[in-house]
Amino acid sequence: MGNHGGKFLTTGRKSADTLPENKKTTTAGSGKKPVPLKKAGTTEINEVHLLPEKEENQGTSGRPFWNGSITIGLVNVPVRLHTMVRDRSFSFRLLHREDGQPLKYDRVCTHDGRVVPWKETVKGYEIRKGEFLVFEPDELKAVMPESDRKIRIDRFVYYLSLDPVYFESSYILVPDRSEEAYGLLVAAMQDLGRAAAGTITLRTKEYPVVVHVYDGALILTTLHHADEVTKPHATTLMPPIPVPKEKELLLAKRIITDLTGDFSINDYPDRYHEAILDLINKKLAGEKIVYQEPHSEEAKELMQALQETIATLARK
Amino acid sequence: MAGNPEPRGGALRNLTRVTLTRLDKVLYPAAGITKQDVLMYYIRAAPFFLPFLYNRPVTMHRFPDGIGGEGFFEKDAPADTPEYVEIFNHWSETAERDVPFVLCNNLDTLIWIANLASLEIHTTLSTTTSYNSPDLLLFDIDPEPPLTFDDVIDVARVVKDHLEARGIRPFVKTSGKKGVHIVVPLVSGYTFSEVRDFAHGIGKDIARDTPKVVSEFPRSRDAGTVFIDYLQNAHGKTMIAPYSLRATPGATVSTPLQWEDLSPGIHPEDFNIKTVLSRDGEPWREIFDNRQKIR
Repeated sequence: MGNHGGKFLTTGRKSADTLPENKKTTTAGSGKKPVPLKKAGTTEINEVHLLPEKEENQGTSGRPFWNGSITIGLVNVPVRLHTMVRDRSFSFRLLHREDGQPLKYDRVCTHDGRVVPWKETVKGYEIRKGEFLVFEPDELKAVMPESDRKIRIDRFVYYLSLDPVYFESSYILVPDRSEEAYGLLVAAMQDLGRAAAGTITLRTKEYPVVVHVYDGALILTTLHHADEVTKPHATTLMPPIPVPKEKELLLAKRIITDLTGDFSINDYPDRYHEAILDLINKKLAGEKIVYQEPHSEEAKELMQALQETIATLARK
Repeated sequence: MAGNPEPRGGALRNLTRVTLTRLDKVLYPAAGITKQDVLMYYIRAAPFFLPFLYNRPVTMHRFPDGIGGEGFFEKDAPADTPEYVEIFNHWSETAERDVPFVLCNNLDTLIWIANLASLEIHTTLSTTTSYNSPDLLLFDIDPEPPLTFDDVIDVARVVKDHLEARGIRPFVKTSGKKGVHIVVPLVSGYTFSEVRDFAHGIGKDIARDTPKVVSEFPRSRDAGTVFIDYLQNAHGKTMIAPYSLRATPGATVSTPLQWEDLSPGIHPEDFNIKTVLSRDGEPWREIFDNRQKIR
């Protein structure tokens, strides 16, 4: 009899061995309400919210991620860069099943199996399987692009001419005591429907970027370099695509036109995220989690095939 | 959101112990084939497929992100292998440890393998009853451009004639890629080196008399040749199993054929997930009733 199902909290750092025997795990067969493990002085968690509840809590914290200025020719607009996109994905810790304690990762030498301290490590580039070129930190530092704290704008482009395949990550540009110049740039770019294209150096990498107006603010989006993005027809994935027949094309266009509407991201909730949240809260409330069969329509065909194959195998 | 926590219906669960996941995941993007289609195929192929795989360690070639993504080979049974999967532990000289091999000995194991997106199922040329002694001989015949499948067919027929002249009945299947596999079921007791030498001998005889054929590995990639590969007849080597899918855009199948079906004009792509099971008959049905001596 295991601990699957019922509420089962573990204590993190502290070794489970130091806890009184009757509190180590919740017992599934005792008929009593399971007692969660708690650290002394902590309050019981009844519900987990992963979405901030208030609008003002949303998004970015007070500390800028980078500061510098947008440079267009001789004009400088000082700005701070704040993160814009939050990764909401759940991360599970890996635990030791036996005592519920978190596992840690160690850097283990593949040769002698010993744990290697950070200060005894060095970077290597694998040129052939098992053969490495060793690089000292200074050697790598020498080729790192220098961050000159500038977002260098080369040109302005029509925002709609940018293809989203190149987009990597977006950041909010906040004016740094430069509200007037910033406001001017926002208004002018918005009126013209243009975005600014250029480069930025973040940490150790130079990125192509575009800056565009969103919700009355300037947004910087880092882009993938050209060679990072595969052209579909350069791969073997794409079969030759025939030219459609005029009549079919008309029909397809009509269907598309009928289904045309305004795009709203809120039409696409993150169902997996919601389901995991739901799962966590059910577990907290002591409910047993049961795997659900795929939808019956999906399963029907499979069931029929299975029944037939099982019957055939039984005859053999 | 996740709704009723009680299982619904559960009829699928009464038929298989495998928990099926991500059924609508597209595994062959160009052909629009999903994990469910792959499961359907393997379930329907099972009556032909399972007898061949019985007690024959399998290597899985898994494509969790479909054939566009990175595939990986899995030779050892994964840590979370369920209890209905039979395991064969065998000492590996190269790994210097006991390697747990998966045996696809029942329908649930085949479904489990398919559910892991192991599109390709490779298997050894010997069974666990005598793991060091092959019970299959394999000629792997592959063309180098500009030669084509038609040239492969020519060479396969020459191999067949040579074998038949010695009183041996060979079986043939497409590899699902560019070539064919000719397989001879063997009586017990041969060593891999005996079988390899025999296959090499046939290859050399044919290469001597047939201009485009090469029998030696160093020349195997020469343009405009057909290579009769004998080197797969070795301990621990595998071949793609008959009825296994391949990770090709058209979801081809390594397909057992009647010799008379192997005629110019056919293409490996003709034999795929959609076509193979609608054929009449089973060309390799008698393969294990025809174990033979080689000489």
